Amino acid sequence: MDACSCITCGDVAIVARVVELRGQSAVVECDPPSRGAGGAREEVAVELVAPVELGEQLLCHAGVALERVVQ
Amino acid sequence: MKHLSEYRSGEIAAGLAERIAALVEPGSSYKLMEICGGHTHAIYRHGIEDLLPAEVQLVHGPGCPVCVIPMGRQDDAIAIAEQDGVIFTTFADMLRVPATNGSLLDAKARGADVRMVYSPLDALRLARENPDRQVVFFAIGFETTAPSTALTLLRAGAEGANNFSIFCNHVLVPPPLRAILDAPDLQLDGFIGPGHVSTVIGTQPYEFIASEYRKPVVVAGFEPLDVLQSIYMLLRQLTEGRCEVENQYVRVVRREGNERALAVIEETMEVRDTFEWRGLGFIERSALGVRERWGQFDAERRFELPGTRVADPPACQCGEVLRGALRPWECKVFGTACTPERPIGTCMVSSEGACAAYYNYGRLERRSERTPA
Repeated sequence: MDACSCITCGDVAIVARVVELRGQSAVVECDPPSRGAGGAREEVAVELVAPVELGEQLLCHAGVALERVVQ
Repeated sequence: MKHLSEYRSGEIAAGLAERIAALVEPGSSYKLMEICGGHTHAIYRHGIEDLLPAEVQLVHGPGCPVCVIPMGRQDDAIAIAEQDGVIFTTFADMLRVPATNGSLLDAKARGADVRMVYSPLDALRLARENPDRQVVFFAIGFETTAPSTALTLLRAGAEGANNFSIFCNHVLVPPPLRAILDAPDLQLDGFIGPGHVSTVIGTQPYEFIASEYRKPVVVAGFEPLDVLQSIYMLLRQLTEGRCEVENQYVRVVRREGNERALAVIEETMEVRDTFEWRGLGFIERSALGVRERWGQFDAERRFELPGTRVADPPACQCGEVLRGALRPWECKVFGTACTPERPIGTCMVSSEGACAAYYNYGRLERRSERTPA
């Protein structure tokens, strides 16, 4: 799912990679080809999936990481 | 990103489309409901219907949280937003939803302090920065969004934020499915299950659809190949006479869901006895409210609300569209009086709404050719 749909509302979540750890939060970055959202960074709460590691891909929705993505 | 391109290969899509066509038995028809608005959006954006044989029909379900909120609740939201000293925060899609006296954007034009946020945590931050104002968050969404609201309530409690509350409109996916399955006007053969809702609740809550109603369910991801593979899995179940809950979206969905997310919801919210859905009416135990213990953060307890039931505009047929009984272009006002710029009904507002998806991706003409009126 990419940025042309509402990223906050409804059953839409985006996959983003952990680039920085900040206690109960992490800064995540969308990888480039996910169109408009590519490269965008956002701080998300990670309590629901902790512990997370740098480089992990998380499914994020409304400022919260909901699940880690298993490739 | 590797993750995305893998799920958008045209070559693999063509192969899957062939395998789907090979499963179709001549003379039969397959009516599959995609429950989730995210899937509706993906289906039209990527032109997935054009890859399917005419025997396979996709029916849009009630899974757009913006679309299912009745007008009375939107009136209540505006009533809160227009109170003195309130900063009313909301996701962008709710800003344009028409209510009795215009939308939240109209309320903002009249002087209300309405602000868009990406997360309820942003609304809590606003409360911290504005201690002399009451900050209210319009909590809306299915089980995907409820954990974010629940975490925010926990943090508000820990901070002792006495100027923060939520107007809770979180709704649940399984109850309306039972209502749709019990409705006499729609015969469905199977369901494409919502992927991100299921990261939270798991696949177990859909098992009643297979065991009681004998219909197959495949929980699906949102990339084009995810959707096509799910349709293939549903047709395989149907042709083999099976009805099971299968999980196509294994990269993020587990049968038991995210137990920690479910626990934070359970701690802060409780299931309401009943809740009104646009188009579906009152459905028992289909929505969440704030638990009494967290009542200080409940805008319904903090503010006086009109709480009136408001009928939809007579021209609006969102109800039928949400039940899958009418397809978007069959609505009397679709694309004429009701457009994304000037929506009459909710289905035209949200990008996940079935009408907006049809309208924005120009699928109207082709569908008209495929389906005689």
